[in-house]
Amino acid sequence: MKVVGITTQQEVFVGSKDRNFRINEFLIIEDPYQDDLIGEVVEAQTFNRYIPLNIYGDMVDASVIESLKSLGYNIDEDTIYISKVRLLNEALYPVQTGSDIRLPKFSEVKEIMIQSTREEGLVLGVIRNTDDMALDMDEEFKDILYTFEERGLVPQKEIPYIMDLRSQHHYPHIGVFGGSGSGKSFGLRVILEELMNQNIPTIVLDPHFEMDFSETPDYLKEKKDFNDSFKCLQVGVHIGVKFEDLKSGDLKNLLDASSHLTDSMNNVVDILFKPRDSYISFADRLRMLTEAQEEGNIEKIENRIISSGDAEEKKAWEKRKELFLNYDKTCPYNSVRGILWRLKRLENEGIFSKDIKEIEIGLQDGKLMVLQGNTRILQVFSTYLLNNLYHKRREYKDAIYKKIAAEYFPPFIIVTDEAHNFAPKGYDSPSKSILKEISQEGRKYGVFLILATQRPTLLDETITAQLNTKFIFRTVRASDIKTIQEETDLTVEETRRLPYLRTGDVFISSATLGRTVYGRIRAALTTSPHTLNPFDELKLKTKQKDDGLFNDIKEKLPINEGDLLDTAMELERDTGITYTIQSLEEKLNQMVQKGYIEKEDTIFGYRYKNK
Amino acid sequence: MYSVHDKLKEKISGLSLTLQEKYEVVLSLDKETLREFIEEEIGKIKTLEKLSKSHLEACQKKGGIVGVDGSNNRVGGAHPHFVEAYQALAKSTIYKDEPLFLADIYTPLAEGESLNSPIEKKEDLEEIEDKKNIKLSTIEVEAAIEAVERFKPYAILMDGGLIRYNIYAKAKWEELRTICEEKDIILVGVIKDIKTSIIGDRLREKYEAIDASFYDRELLFGKLQYGEMIIINEMVNKKGIEGYSSGFIRSSLAPTVIGIDILDSQKTSIEEMARLILTLTPQTSRGIPLWLDMVDKEVKISDAIMKGLMERYMDRGLYERFFISERDKRD
Ligand SMILES: Nc1ncnc2c1ncn2[C@@H]1O[C@H](COP(=O)(O)OP(=O)(O)O)[C@@H](O)[C@H]1O
Ligand SMILES: [Mg+2]
Repeated sequence: MKVVGITTQQEVFVGSKDRNFRINEFLIIEDPYQDDLIGEVVEAQTFNRYIPLNIYGDMVDASVIESLKSLGYNIDEDTIYISKVRLLNEALYPVQTGSDIRLPKFSEVKEIMIQSTREEGLVLGVIRNTDDMALDMDEEFKDILYTFEERGLVPQKEIPYIMDLRSQHHYPHIGVFGGSGSGKSFGLRVILEELMNQNIPTIVLDPHFEMDFSETPDYLKEKKDFNDSFKCLQVGVHIGVKFEDLKSGDLKNLLDASSHLTDSMNNVVDILFKPRDSYISFADRLRMLTEAQEEGNIEKIENRIISSGDAEEKKAWEKRKELFLNYDKTCPYNSVRGILWRLKRLENEGIFSKDIKEIEIGLQDGKLMVLQGNTRILQVFSTYLLNNLYHKRREYKDAIYKKIAAEYFPPFIIVTDEAHNFAPKGYDSPSKSILKEISQEGRKYGVFLILATQRPTLLDETITAQLNTKFIFRTVRASDIKTIQEETDLTVEETRRLPYLRTGDVFISSATLGRTVYGRIRAALTTSPHTLNPFDELKLKTKQKDDGLFNDIKEKLPINEGDLLDTAMELERDTGITYTIQSLEEKLNQMVQKGYIEKEDTIFGYRYKNK
Repeated sequence: MYSVHDKLKEKISGLSLTLQEKYEVVLSLDKETLREFIEEEIGKIKTLEKLSKSHLEACQKKGGIVGVDGSNNRVGGAHPHFVEAYQALAKSTIYKDEPLFLADIYTPLAEGESLNSPIEKKEDLEEIEDKKNIKLSTIEVEAAIEAVERFKPYAILMDGGLIRYNIYAKAKWEELRTICEEKDIILVGVIKDIKTSIIGDRLREKYEAIDASFYDRELLFGKLQYGEMIIINEMVNKKGIEGYSSGFIRSSLAPTVIGIDILDSQKTSIEEMARLILTLTPQTSRGIPLWLDMVDKEVKISDAIMKGLMERYMDRGLYERFFISERDKRD
């Protein structure tokens, strides 16, 4: 291998007669006039000067080439390999053409390849095309992971990619970009496994309900148990917002996240929401005010008071009158209705039924807390949650700074998939404000973001710019490639490769390193429990329902036509499900069709019976 | 509209007319008539088959094929301030990693007397031209001789006609010829640009109406089918005197024909060699066997290399003083 052609201080071409170069491998250039230089292959080509480039008559040339082969000459062997090599550091002089090239030893690249120890860093995968250098690698870096490839689980042959978590302090926040199916979620899973290994307090917003770590993938024989390190919590079921703890600002955020608030609605909250309000007290106030406003004027409300049937009703209308007098002028009916509607919607989603205590405790314990719910609910809830936790951490740090005592609150990491939904470009959203604040100031307080999205173009650009490390998986969409080009230091050559990356292969563009690593995410140790095909899932669910119904009616068979009403009532008593005669008949007929039961004609009409 | 090229346009149109007139007879000769004439007066037109795989493999067993070619390049300015470099390459299809290179250089500056005679006389120029040809032919033949020793090939394909070796490298050439004859190595020349006028001369002899001599390349243009060959009768082949047999082959789809020379003593092999050439020539090419094309590419001394070598291996002061022309300095 030798340097050929015209060289510069940044780039050289290397030619070889027998070694096919691989992109992103490292080579050492032994320039006689300066210290050894290290470079990375950015383009690799093979070239055969004898095979004409413009072959019209493919066939003819093929026959000539075959003939030459019969004469002992194999044109393929005259192929030469050429690579473009970019120097990691600029050389003092243009590289001497003709300089010898050799493969580096591990010790020569250790510093640029290994960012962290195995214990302190995140072992995320391997650096592709480093197997030659890995041969004499220190033992501590060998056999620490597997990759999962087309042919199955493959032992590690390359240098591991170990991400330096500590460097987040200087170069905070991580972006994970890539098209659908490119390996983002899998990559996130591996990152999260590593965070759990390190006991880093982490919050995961999981709109896909996929970040569960309780199952072991088929390809692994040994189970790695993370059950004590993470917890999945569903918003509205396990966790929620304690209404009594809300401040007016929090409440407005929540309502706004539920559905956009107008200025007038904001105003309504400011006026009507009282400290220590419960959900009920606040909702009642809103409701009574709207009822009063619906009467239209004070005379009509007074009429209501006068014509009230009992004392309670009277009292209630008097209350309405008071609200009307106090607030009708400042709180327009439509705005009050709007607030009430949003409030009820949140309540229906269960947001106010729980609190975030469990999350706080989890973080204090260094656990990974996975918050699940549909995207909208997560938007609403995370707005409240992140504000709350971030400020707790901030208060703690500020208190330390001011040397006043404060309750400890740990630094933590926030992870979300579909980040463009939480911090969209081009319009405001409540969750965006807090994410933006953290992206800009989180570093000071030890709060970091890991944002994954398949649409980097739709992610708020201020936030994107703050992501100091970017994992870029296969990307096909032109607009996203353009965004990536603008937002990372990927070279033209690398950008061109983006659409062709294999699933799980990734460019890691990092400000810490100041260059891009071409890697492959390691095999995850866990798998998402619900990889069920949705159509299989549908079938399963229907079957469960049918089995359920059959169980419920089994004891009551045979059922005569005349018994349908009784049966319906019994079923309602047993199961709490209400049937009409008609709907029960429909169900029974379906059961007949599906072969659970039989229907027969008798002299008293038809009846359903066991098969 | 006034155009600077008007005068040139006129000249070219004029030339076209002149050629049209001069070649009227030739151009109007119909294909069949000419082919009949050739069959009767020049030699048989044969349709060649490509060599079979087994035939080629047999050639390979007997030592494969060696291609020989030379090239030259020049740096510097006008006489005598230039250096010319010559390079010859012999390459065997079997020993592809052992290209056999020979080289030589020439500059009038190193030739003593020319130093003081910057004024070029016609004889001087001819002498220099001869020197070039001698140097180039000599190293080509030397490369071929070494190739015989080293590769023991079945046949040697030289790029170009053989006759020039008689003229410029006689002694060496006789040596090569003798070895080849002794060792049964077939020696052929493959001529891309044929310069003979064998058919034309014969036409002139036969027909009084034709008073000019036409070149074979003009006459044969488009007259042979792909794969056809003319084996020239000894009687009409002027190269016969020097001991060669010759032929023409349409070796590709291009309408031009190429020439082949072979040692007289080996003339029974001319058809086999023609078939070899046909086999090794891409249909869509201009007619030269790929192997010779490859040797040609490899032996070429590019301007950049020439300049690079001069800069690297010649004393900078001498180089500038003698060989950098004003024109070079400008750019
Ligand atoms: N690093 C990897 N190694 C092996 N298989 C992977 C890897 N990354 C992804 N896959 C496979 O590809 C599938 C799609 O990946 P996923 O992460 O769900 O894509 P995305 O989230 O980008 O849409 C996964 O189910 C997994 O089987
Ligand atoms: Mg995904």
